[in-house]
Amino acid sequence: MWLYEKKLQHPVKIKNPNPQLAQIIISQLGGPDGELAASMRYLHQRYSSPYDEVTGILTDVGTEELAHLEMVAAILYQLTRNLSEEQIKNSPFATYFVDHTTGLYPVAASGTPFDMKYVGVKGDILTDLHEDLAAEQKARTTYDNILRLTDDPDVKDAIQFLRQRELVHFQRFGDAIRIAQDHLDSKNFYAFNPSFDKASGVFRKK
Amino acid sequence: MVACKCRPNGSQMNCDALHARLQALDFAIVETTLYLDAYPTCAKALEYYSRLVAERAAVAEALHTQCGKPTTAWDNKNPNSWDWIKGPWPWQIEAN
Repeated sequence: MWLYEKKLQHPVKIKNPNPQLAQIIISQLGGPDGELAASMRYLHQRYSSPYDEVTGILTDVGTEELAHLEMVAAILYQLTRNLSEEQIKNSPFATYFVDHTTGLYPVAASGTPFDMKYVGVKGDILTDLHEDLAAEQKARTTYDNILRLTDDPDVKDAIQFLRQRELVHFQRFGDAIRIAQDHLDSKNFYAFNPSFDKASGVFRKK
Repeated sequence: MVACKCRPNGSQMNCDALHARLQALDFAIVETTLYLDAYPTCAKALEYYSRLVAERAAVAEALHTQCGKPTTAWDNKNPNSWDWIKGPWPWQIEAN
């Protein structure tokens, strides 16, 4: 189960509202490589993990992604506060505003609503972990792109923290693949699915 | 004691400093738990984890009782007041 801690993982203190920047950063809320996709991916993949270490990594990284989702929401909340009609009218944010005002609705920067199709759960732990490595790189690239599009030091501080976390998660998923492979041998890396084919006898014995 | 730049030597931490210290400790704990998930027998990591959670318990207790700020719905220490829902909420600047 989940218990909510009433604090951000890392502080977000953005002094200057900027709806145009919010329009871009919202991709890390509801976009293909954002924090909602990441949390849903890892938290659902964990059910077909046959190895405790891997289940632990998927659970704990997935939970941390929910905390990141909250940080992105905090960034967007602060970037869209106290806006005048002029500020909204003259920015690409107007098309989001008409449907959502300054509420937070998970969409990509293009306006496409979040789609579970961004998430893969193949029920084969090796397959799923390879998707996870790619997912962390895609998230890192998205944060790189956001950093190219702003000079605001308050925004950059929060974004750089989130970007660093993606790099660490990438390392942990690398560890997870090694751990999963250590349970197999060179004859059967891909000959069966360790999440499904129990008869193979390589399921962890308690 | 895990090194801390936000506590002047010998003086009590105020509530803002306690909040910042809790954020820092919890971040270190999350990072250590991810590492231990992959390396569960690493003695150094386990020892670091134990030190962190011990200090964390003390900082959280101070925040909950002295500052009246529960960090989860299970930490509301004031029997006469539901402080849990009191603002500011984490996404508001005043909370950070």
